[in-house]
Amino acid sequence: MDNQQALPMAADNVSIDPTIDPTTQRKHAAMMERLSNLHQSRVSNKTNPKDPSFESTQSFLSAFTNSKQAIESSLAEIQQIPDSNPNQDLKPDLERISLSISDLEKLVAENSYFLPPYEVRSSLKTISDLKQTLDSVTSKVKPRKKFSFKNKPAKKPETATVLAAAATKNESEHQSSYKVTDAPGFRSKENEVLVKEFKGSEVGEYVLTDLTNCEVRLKGCLRTLFINRLQNCKIYVGPVLGSILIEEVEGCVFVMASHQIRIHHAKRSDFYLRCRSRPIIEQSDGVRFAPYRLSYDGIENDLKESNLFDDTGSWANVDDFQWLRAVQSPNWSILPENERIETVKF
Amino acid sequence: MGLLSIIRKIKRKEKEMRILMVGLDNSGKTTIVLKINGEDTSVISPTLGFNIKTMTYDKYTLNIWDVGGQKTIRSYWRNYFEQTDGLVWVVDSSDLRRLDDCKFELDNLLKEEPYQTVRFWLNTSAGFLLTQPSLFQKCSCPKQKPAHPQFNGDMDDKLDIHVIKCYKIDKRLSGASLLVFANKQDIQGALSPNEIAKVLNLDVMDKSRHWRIVGCSAYTGDGLLEGFDWLVQDIASRIYVLD
Repeated sequence: MDNQQALPMAADNVSIDPTIDPTTQRKHAAMMERLSNLHQSRVSNKTNPKDPSFESTQSFLSAFTNSKQAIESSLAEIQQIPDSNPNQDLKPDLERISLSISDLEKLVAENSYFLPPYEVRSSLKTISDLKQTLDSVTSKVKPRKKFSFKNKPAKKPETATVLAAAATKNESEHQSSYKVTDAPGFRSKENEVLVKEFKGSEVGEYVLTDLTNCEVRLKGCLRTLFINRLQNCKIYVGPVLGSILIEEVEGCVFVMASHQIRIHHAKRSDFYLRCRSRPIIEQSDGVRFAPYRLSYDGIENDLKESNLFDDTGSWANVDDFQWLRAVQSPNWSILPENERIETVKF
Repeated sequence: MGLLSIIRKIKRKEKEMRILMVGLDNSGKTTIVLKINGEDTSVISPTLGFNIKTMTYDKYTLNIWDVGGQKTIRSYWRNYFEQTDGLVWVVDSSDLRRLDDCKFELDNLLKEEPYQTVRFWLNTSAGFLLTQPSLFQKCSCPKQKPAHPQFNGDMDDKLDIHVIKCYKIDKRLSGASLLVFANKQDIQGALSPNEIAKVLNLDVMDKSRHWRIVGCSAYTGDGLLEGFDWLVQDIASRIYVLD
């Protein structure tokens, strides 16, 4: 692949005219010789049966998986030992595992030049995972190092554990600190009609999450909307001044107006949109798009206020981030006019 | 004269800074860039790829690389690391659900992990030359074949091209100043910059990196100048020591 990419650009640079002057010619000849030497050595290298390089992804993968499994099983063994025999010295075992992990790393490095990038990445990930497991096993299993200066009180490890405890405590505080302050919204409902009217400009964000077979009507302007995990819902939304973020929806109908709309992991859903910019989809399929169809008392005003009164036609210019080609993405389509819903009124 | 001092000299002449803007999708990166450049922010599509803005700020020229944050293109962020003086990480302070994602991606970004580099070498009478320097302008161009321990060459006999892939530990961002924008502060219910700093656990970087978190709103423009003032001053004090 890389070779092919490089070919056209290199062709311009190589054009050395051999008739120009003898020095150049001589240099050229020398170069050719050096090249053929290089080539010879490469060829002989390759045919050398002792050479462990095997240029096939398959064989690399099987070798890789084998040693990975070996390492994993010995790690598991070591984890079992301290329960039955707490005094056994595990240091050599751990060192052996660490060595075989670095061998594995070397194997990947040696073969990286022919492996597809995905395999390289996943192999490197596996290795770092193995290292992490080894670290955790080591910290669990290894007896604490004896501190050599006996006259000093061995306070250090204690403070370390205290610090660690404080850190974990902090961590849990972090976790809770932003889960307590939940944003307003509808959560975890089934088979309901949920209505909310926004008045004035005090409305910030709104959240719709974990809804099944619901109908949601949001009337009035809001700043931003987050939608997550909906199934078979009908969602009708007034103008959104900022952006709408949609994730993991299936079998839904959305009627919404916003400046920006991002759709992730959507399946079999219809979107009736008015959008100032291009809507985007990612990891979605079977999504269809049509123009906005919603009406309630005062929607014209709300749309004007949010600068969404004019239909710019952007609803049809969908960017599929997983389809970066000129031809139409198979993941989305324009909803045929005879299948569109009537204007929704409430 | 060391390489570092040469680079410093060149940079001093140009007074140029390269700034990389990254963050999750929907955090407002493009809006921030356009707002600070005084452009219309009413129609902005999610960034497919990247935008480059060059603007004059104080007496410096900023090259701002605004890279799209959608999940499918996050893996390309690493391609923009080269020669980055300042890093701007933008957080949507109102998106509470994805703060975990945000922390994960930031940690991932700052982690110094191995990455693959690919270079093409062309064998000519003048020695090894890097082909297509415009594509790889940030690569250095040594006169000899690099003696990398993990060097793996592949050769095309006719054209004599070497394709070199090797792994390096990524330290390209290690010197860059980090500005975290806690964006969308104008939205009710948004977390404060302090809370964001706690969630992202920024304190652990105290010793290893110059960083700062600034609350802002790309919608109203609040806080943007404060953030950029700090970033530019911090970079300047690192690079243009003698000013």
